[in-house]
Amino acid sequence: MVRSKPAFFASLLIGVTLALSLGLLLVIPTLADDPAQETERYCLSCHSNPNLYMTLPSGEALLLYVSGETLAGSIHSPLGIECEACHTEIKAYPHPEQPYETLREFSRAYALSCKKCHSVNFEKTQDSIHAQAAEQGHLNAPVCTDCHGAHDVHPPDMPRSKISETCGNCHAAILNEYAQSIHGKALSEENNADVPVCTDCHGVHNIQDPRTDQFRVNTPELCAGCHANAALMQKYNLRADVYDLYKLSWHGVDVSVYKARWLTIWHDSAVCTDCHGIHNIRKTDDPASSVNPNNLLATCQKCHPGVSQNWTGAWTGHYEVSLERTPFVYYTKIFYSQFTPVVLWISGFYVALQILHATIERVRRSLR
Amino acid sequence: MSLTPEIVKPELHFKRFSKSQRWEHTLLLFCVLVLLLTGLPQKYRTAGWSQYLLSTPERVQMIQQIHHAAALLLTAGAIYHLGKGILQLARRQLPADIFPVWQDFKDAWQMILFLLFLSKDKPKFRKYNFEQKVTYWFIFFGVGILIVTGYILWFPEVVTRLLPGGVIPAAKLAHSSEAIVLAVFIVVWHFYHVHLERLNLSIFTGKLNEEDMQTYHALEYQRLTASQPESPESGGEG
Repeated sequence: MVRSKPAFFASLLIGVTLALSLGLLLVIPTLADDPAQETERYCLSCHSNPNLYMTLPSGEALLLYVSGETLAGSIHSPLGIECEACHTEIKAYPHPEQPYETLREFSRAYALSCKKCHSVNFEKTQDSIHAQAAEQGHLNAPVCTDCHGAHDVHPPDMPRSKISETCGNCHAAILNEYAQSIHGKALSEENNADVPVCTDCHGVHNIQDPRTDQFRVNTPELCAGCHANAALMQKYNLRADVYDLYKLSWHGVDVSVYKARWLTIWHDSAVCTDCHGIHNIRKTDDPASSVNPNNLLATCQKCHPGVSQNWTGAWTGHYEVSLERTPFVYYTKIFYSQFTPVVLWISGFYVALQILHATIERVRRSLR
Repeated sequence: MSLTPEIVKPELHFKRFSKSQRWEHTLLLFCVLVLLLTGLPQKYRTAGWSQYLLSTPERVQMIQQIHHAAALLLTAGAIYHLGKGILQLARRQLPADIFPVWQDFKDAWQMILFLLFLSKDKPKFRKYNFEQKVTYWFIFFGVGILIVTGYILWFPEVVTRLLPGGVIPAAKLAHSSEAIVLAVFIVVWHFYHVHLERLNLSIFTGKLNEEDMQTYHALEYQRLTASQPESPESGGEG
């Protein structure tokens, strides 16, 4: 094969140019050590105007102002995740016509863009009570941005109390109850890392309806997650055997059967929260605690109406059987721990002797 | 063809239990059986077999109702038994045969020596031997405990108006422990003595034949035949 020299150089030149430009294409984005904020700067050239808004068909004003500072302080923007990551349909100016009637419709639609990157958590929210509420037409049920923010997305647990405050934006009365509880106080006063915030018991994205029988029968295990953890309980000078002792109690056995067999059938046997309270759990020696000895009768009467003060003594109170606390059970236990084996051994031994004697006699007679 | 009177040896029977006593035993047997069968699944609620039997909350309720009905029947029997005893005591007619006496302890010791081949003499017994007295009194007090604790568990709200709350969990423990002890005792002790050692159906028939009387209740046989040789049917009522 013969080729002219200039033609060879020409093809070499083309090849080198192609390779270089291809390399440049690959290299340029990774070269940007400072995320360029190109689109952000471009968008903000209009959207940094605090008076920028549009009127939706519902008559509501949709504020179109975005603070550059807010964006800069969020978790996304410094990582180079800019406007177009979420506002995917807007490529240039003028923007395409937006089809939303109301403000809420607008924010619900934009929350869908979280799915692109956070698909696992997004799918979880689709199983939540909030999604169910939305399906039933309660469009105020929260979507991603209601809890996490839109342009001001931050880590949700910095500080930890922020989680409960976020839920409190809608569940204000419950947050107020929680804030008075032993858990809530430890959270707000000492930023305690062990006490449960809302999401520890209710779940994070797949939050379930806590009023179902499934949630109810799982309550003891939920509390046991911390209260049966010996190392954790020791830290606060609390006993870690409360769950095990509960499981032996009348209530606990009953609940375990419902949990094992009848998950969908409502039952009334007491779980932790029935006596200790739900969001307003207090120390047992707190005068306002529902299980404080002074309030215990009223707490029992919620399920056992009309019982007398003595009734509260029937509850062995998550304590091992002891002479000091439960003398009646203590002596009964001592009695049967001796009586049962004595009866079994004596009757078994005596009858065994009789059988042995009769057998030997029979053998003797037959040998005679 | 006729039987020759010389060959036919009339079998003598000695009255052992009154009709009322036989019915009391049958009632007790029935109630104990029903109470045990309906009680065990309640005691072992966490066990798989119990949850299989009590497959719905309605079944739990039903088994409790059966348990309560049988308990009422047993209580009626117990009241009748005690009432009859008190009446007989008031009339000074209470038969003394069933009460333990010092001789029973000596008999028991002698029996153990005999069973261990340390003595050749098997003790001779009166109407009730010590084994039968143990059976009666063990069941007497066992059923007593079960009835009392059973009603405490049935009506805890009422009970705690009078008694401290601590009796409720104690009654629960006593009820289920006593039931097991009693059941095992009946199976080991009572079943051996009335089914295996010999088949003794006198509690159902009300009478014992001459041979059994001579073998197992020699002193009673002597007493009956010595004092009233003509009418062996006149056994004691107790």
